[in-house]
Amino acid sequence: MGHAYQAVGWNRQKKIYDGVLLGAILLYLGGFLGLGFATHPDATFETMLIRALGTGALLLLHVILSIGPLCRLDRRFLPLLYNRRHLGVAMFILALGHGTLSTIQFHAFGDLHPLVSLLVSNTRFDNLAQFPFQPLGFFALIILALMATTSHDFWLSILSAPVWKALHMLVYVAYALIVMHVVLGVLQTETSLWLSGALGAGVLWVFGLHIVAGRREVRVDLTPAGVEANSYVDVCALQDIPEKRAKVVSIDGERVAVFRYDGRVSALSNPCQHQNGPLGEGCIRDGLVTCPWHGYQYRPDSGASPEPFTEKVPTFKVKVEEGRVLVQSNPQPAGTRVEPATFNAEEIDV
Amino acid sequence: MSDPKQEFYVGYLPQAPHGLGRFLKAGILMLLLGTVVAAAILSMAQSPYSKAKFEFGVSSILEGRIEELPFPTLMVPREGGGDSRYLLTVFGKKGADEAVAGFAGKRVRVRGTLIYHDQLTMVELGPAAIEVLAPATAEPDASDGTVAGGGAWTQTGAGVERSLIGEIVDSKCYLGVMKPGNLKTHRACATRCISGGVPPVLMVRDEHGLATYFLLTSSSGGSVGRQIVDRGLVAEPVRISGEVVRFGDLLVLKADPETYQRLD
Repeated sequence: MGHAYQAVGWNRQKKIYDGVLLGAILLYLGGFLGLGFATHPDATFETMLIRALGTGALLLLHVILSIGPLCRLDRRFLPLLYNRRHLGVAMFILALGHGTLSTIQFHAFGDLHPLVSLLVSNTRFDNLAQFPFQPLGFFALIILALMATTSHDFWLSILSAPVWKALHMLVYVAYALIVMHVVLGVLQTETSLWLSGALGAGVLWVFGLHIVAGRREVRVDLTPAGVEANSYVDVCALQDIPEKRAKVVSIDGERVAVFRYDGRVSALSNPCQHQNGPLGEGCIRDGLVTCPWHGYQYRPDSGASPEPFTEKVPTFKVKVEEGRVLVQSNPQPAGTRVEPATFNAEEIDV
Repeated sequence: MSDPKQEFYVGYLPQAPHGLGRFLKAGILMLLLGTVVAAAILSMAQSPYSKAKFEFGVSSILEGRIEELPFPTLMVPREGGGDSRYLLTVFGKKGADEAVAGFAGKRVRVRGTLIYHDQLTMVELGPAAIEVLAPATAEPDASDGTVAGGGAWTQTGAGVERSLIGEIVDSKCYLGVMKPGNLKTHRACATRCISGGVPPVLMVRDEHGLATYFLLTSSSGGSVGRQIVDRGLVAEPVRISGEVVRFGDLLVLKADPETYQRLD
């Protein structure tokens, strides 16, 4: 949480996460090079390494893009999300290796600066099959570099969560550029159905997963808009909210996390101030609302993080009447204490 | 046993909940298995690589005569008579024109790395790789080692008019420095090589897939690299009509580069 910054706040689980990540990357590169040379003894090392790094980065990007929707569909995947930025930086390093070696291989030691050569050596913009594919990869790499260098929480606090989030949503632009880089590049000369099939399956997987998870999200927002200002909205029954958990509801287009805990009910704005994580999918832990993404914590009655942390989210006034939970439509300023609604145990069974 | 779907994971705590930990261990095993499967599929599904050879790190010594027009070559006498003609290049995406300047027609010893594919061989010269030798006693020579015949290639027989369809590649990469050394993925590199003076070659495949290579020059035997690059004709199907001339082992296709036709 945003108190003081260090490069990486190592802990046991983070070390396990990065150890598995490093092991998987080395296993992939070793497997690709070993099997590649065993089956293609005439291959050159540079080409094989460029391909190993490129395919490794693209595979990792598919994993990264799958984590968000997978967590929406099954919370057991949340541990993958916790250090997703490590995956992103690792993927960028692989992509950078691919891009650097390719630029040296194809553009260095010539009569133009390598980066100029990269942009001007193929000018067939008039023909899709001959369209220059290397600049597509170059622009994708710039986006990935921007994301990797701003991945730390330090930059998150500097840029603010919405700006940081918008910047990092550019990963979908990078993904589209990379897919086109592959389709218009290596798949123009490599004709194996395994390769084109693998890319097609990957694209379908990413799109399909996002559509399925997105449809579930949309259902939450399918509530009537145009609620009267300062009015109380009946959002659910008490028993719809598990103890120490929340129900996410939408009030006039804004998502609200309504928590039940220890005979009380409190409501907070759903997006976590850290990375817009869904607080309503978290739980009450040690008396604090705990975000499922990175464990950021807020007091349920005030929406303020415990000292010395400084994050705050808006709160909502809440009433419980005859077993129904009513939330005021207007949020209170972030960090404003609101008296939790209380209820008797028998109201749960009303 | 706890239900991992109800357990709550907090990454900064030392231990994941028990049920979730079991789920994650199974997931890690699946991930590692998937990694191996993906590496196997993606590496083994690559197309076969060319048999072309670049003897990287191996230095060879050859003796012969430098000829520089239309492209720098080394004429090496064969034991049974006649000469083998080796194209010359230097490190990087450059031709060997500067490296052979002043050596035309001279008997020399060169040190370099062999690059070869099918019937073509090239030598990548290292720095200060050319050493002038004393002329052979049987040869009419000049005192500076220049052999009779000068630095221009000698045509073998009469030329024939041909119209050929093929792909323009740079001779250095296609002969083995890079794999693949042709088609779209290699276009940018071939463009830079040809722009830098590496001899451009029209590769023509017959119905059996066998390749024949034609070095490209203008109708008067001059360089066409600049025009090929400016017209963006590298690594695409093209038709070239002109005069095919044999120079010992090598075939040269002479044609005005403005008449090269792109076949989209």
